[in-house]
Amino acid sequence: MINVYDVIVYNTFKIINMNDKDITLRVENVSKYFGDFTAVKDLSFKIRAGRVFGFLGPNGAGKTTTIRMIVGITIPDEGKVELFGEKITPEIRDRIGYLPEERGLYRKMKVHDQLRYFAALKGVSQKEADKRIDFWLDRMKLSEWKLKKTTDLSKGMSQKLQFIATMLHDPDLLILDEPFSGLDPVNVEFMKDVIAEIKSRDKTIIFSTHLMETAEKLCDDILLLNKSHKVLSGSLRQIKESYGKNVISLRCIGGEKVLNDKNLVSNIIEHSDEKEIFLADDADPQMLLRKLIESGAEITKFEMVEPSLNDIFIDNVKDK
Amino acid sequence: MMKFLAVLKREYKKVVFTWAFLITTFLMPLAASLFIVVPVFIFSIEGDTTRIAVADKSGRISERFQENLLPDKIREKAKKAAQESLNNPRVSQEEQMKRSAEQIGGKFEFVEYNAQNKSLEQIKRELNAKISQKNLDAYVIIPEDISRNDTKFEFYSRKPGDFVTNTSIENSLNEAVLSQRLADSNISEEKLEELSRNIAFNVKSISETGEEKEDSGSFWVAFIVAMLIYIVLLIYGQAIMSAIVEEKETRIAEILFSSAKPFELMLGKLVGVGLAGLTQLAIWITTLTILLSFGFVSAMLSGADITLPSITPQIIIYFFIFFFLGYFIYATIYALIGSMVTNMQEGGQFAFPPIMLLMLGLYFCFAVVRDPNSTFAFWVSILPFFAPIVMPVRIIAEVPPFWQIALAILLNLLTIFGLVWIASRVYRVGMLMYGKRASIPEVWKWIKQS
Repeated sequence: MINVYDVIVYNTFKIINMNDKDITLRVENVSKYFGDFTAVKDLSFKIRAGRVFGFLGPNGAGKTTTIRMIVGITIPDEGKVELFGEKITPEIRDRIGYLPEERGLYRKMKVHDQLRYFAALKGVSQKEADKRIDFWLDRMKLSEWKLKKTTDLSKGMSQKLQFIATMLHDPDLLILDEPFSGLDPVNVEFMKDVIAEIKSRDKTIIFSTHLMETAEKLCDDILLLNKSHKVLSGSLRQIKESYGKNVISLRCIGGEKVLNDKNLVSNIIEHSDEKEIFLADDADPQMLLRKLIESGAEITKFEMVEPSLNDIFIDNVKDK
Repeated sequence: MMKFLAVLKREYKKVVFTWAFLITTFLMPLAASLFIVVPVFIFSIEGDTTRIAVADKSGRISERFQENLLPDKIREKAKKAAQESLNNPRVSQEEQMKRSAEQIGGKFEFVEYNAQNKSLEQIKRELNAKISQKNLDAYVIIPEDISRNDTKFEFYSRKPGDFVTNTSIENSLNEAVLSQRLADSNISEEKLEELSRNIAFNVKSISETGEEKEDSGSFWVAFIVAMLIYIVLLIYGQAIMSAIVEEKETRIAEILFSSAKPFELMLGKLVGVGLAGLTQLAIWITTLTILLSFGFVSAMLSGADITLPSITPQIIIYFFIFFFLGYFIYATIYALIGSMVTNMQEGGQFAFPPIMLLMLGLYFCFAVVRDPNSTFAFWVSILPFFAPIVMPVRIIAEVPPFWQIALAILLNLLTIFGLVWIASRVYRVGMLMYGKRASIPEVWKWIKQS
C-alpha cells in the first residue's frame, strides 16, 4: 500500500527541486578575506534563470572577488556557492562563460587558433568549435580577420574576440565584467543587441559594472555592493518604485537651510541646473514644500520623480 | 585530461612551429658539421706542386732530403699525424697547426741545381733569377759543414706564408740532416729508430666489475653531452618562464583559470615545452651521431687506430631519463619565477640562481670525467640540481653501480614532486596578482595557505 505521507514528501521534494532548477546561482553567506583585508563579507543572493543580473558597485567593492568565487578561481573562506543547484565541479564550470575585466589574448596567435584553444579549454570538440567560430566571427563582423594575428587587431576588435571566446561553449550562465570598457558608442550599442539576443535564448547573464546607465537599460535584477557588503538587492522595478515616493526633482533659489536639515533630507545629488532630493525616512514631500516656501525660497520646479539607478547608486554609496 | 592535452598541444606547437626553432634546430647541426667537414675539405685541396731546388754545398744531404719529400713518405707521415691528433687532443694551437700541416703534406718537384764550387752569393743570384723568371718556387741552401751547432740552413720561397709546404720541408730536411749526422757517428738509422721509438701509451679503464675497456674519445662525448643538456635546459627553462610571464602580462591567466585547473595548465605547459625540447634534442643527437660516425669512419679509413667510445642503448636511455629529470627540475623553477614576477626584465634578475646551479653542474662534469669513481663524483652525480647534468657524463666516463643511478633518479624525482607542489601553489595565486612583484615572505604565505 502506498503511504500517503511518502507521496506528499516525494511531491514536496519535486517542487523544491524544480525551484532549484529555476535558480541558476545561489550564493549563501559567502565571505572572503585576504590577510587582514575583508574583500567580501557575509554575502547572500540568488539569480533566477533567464534573467539579466546587474552586479553593481564602486571600484574595490568586492565584485571581481565574488565573481572569481562563482567561476571557481578562488574558494570562499566561509559560506557556499551553488551553480545550477549543485556544488561547483569542473563539469559545472564548463557551463559558465566568463569575460573578466582584466582580459587578454595571446599576441602572436592567429585569431582562429586562439578561439579553437579557448574552446578546447572549455571541452568543446574541434569540429563543433569550428562551426561556432565561423558563426560568431560572422555575427561580430570579424570573418575577414580569421587568419590574422591578434596583434593586427584594434582594441575594439580584440574586445569582440574576447567576447566570442566566452561564448564558444554556449554557456548557460554568462558573466560579463565591464564588457563595454574600451568600446566606442557604436560598438556598445552593437554589443547590447548581441546580449539581448543571448538573453532571449533563456541564458542567464551576470553583468558587472559601475556604469549605472548601461545597467539600468539591460538589467532585470540588481545587487549593489559597497565596501564588501551587500547594500541593496532585488528587481530593478521594485527598487525604483520604492524610491519613487521620496525623491524630488527640485529647481529653486535659496532654501539652503531647509535642505540641510537632516530630519527632512537624507541626500542631495546636484545636477547642472537642478537638484535630486532624497527625503529622510519620516519626512514627506508636502512637509518639504511647505518648509521651503516658509523659508522664502523661489521655487521654479518641484516634482516627485522616479530616481535613476545612478542616483540610487550614489545615494547608497556616498559617505557610507 | 582533455584540457591538459589541449594545453600541451598548444605549448608544443607554439615552440616548434616557429622560425627560431626551425633555424636553431637545423642550422646548429649544419653549423657544427661545417666546423668539422669544411676544414677537412679545405685541407684536402691539394696545393700546386712546389718546384724546389736544393743547393747542397755539403753534397751529402740532398739525396735523403729528396727521398723524404716523396709522395709515399708524405702520406705515411700524414697518417701518423692524424693518429696523434686523435689520441692526444689537448695540445697548443701551434702544435695543432703543425699537425694539420703534416696531414696535408703537399707535393714537390725537384729542379736540378749544381751548387758545387759556387759561392753563396753566386748561388743566391742564380736561383733568385730563376724564381723571378717563374721557373722555380723555392730553394734550400745546405751549408758545407752540417755537423756544427751554429750551422744555418737557409730556405727561400716565393710564398713564405705557405706553412704546409714550409713544415714539410723543414721536417724532411731535419730528418735528412739528423740521419746524416748519425751516419757520421756510425749509428745506423735503423738502430736509432729502434732505440728512440715512442712508447705505446694505451689508456684503458677498468670498471668496478673489473672489466677492461678501451678508453678513447669518451672525454669528448661526455663533454658534448654535458654541453647539450646544459644548453637545452637553459633555453627551455627560459621559454617556460617567458610563456608564463606572457599569460600574466596579457591577463590571459584569469580566462584560463576559469576554464581549467591551474595544476593542469602548469603541467600542460611544462610537458608541452619539454616535448618540444626533446624534439630538438633528438634531432641534434641523431645528427651528432651521424656526424661523429662519419668522422670516426673517415679517421679509420685514413688509417688511424681508434675505437668508438662505447655508447650502448642503455646509456642512451639513461641520457634521456636524466634529461627529463633535469628539464622538470629547472623548468619548474622557471615556472615558479615566472609566476612571481610581473615582466621579463624582473624574471631575468631572478633567473640567475638556476643558471648558477646549471653552470656549477657543468663545471663539476670536468672533475667527474677525470675521476668518475671519487667520493666527490658520487655526491655531485646523485644530488638534486646537479645530477641531471653530472650523472650522464659519469655514466659515459664509467658506468657507476646501478644503485647509485637509481638513487640519483629517486632523489631527483622527489625533488621534482616537491618543486611542482610548491610551484603549482605559487602559480595559482601569483598569476592573478597584477602590478607588483611578489616578495619571498608573500610567496611563502601562498605556499602555506593553499
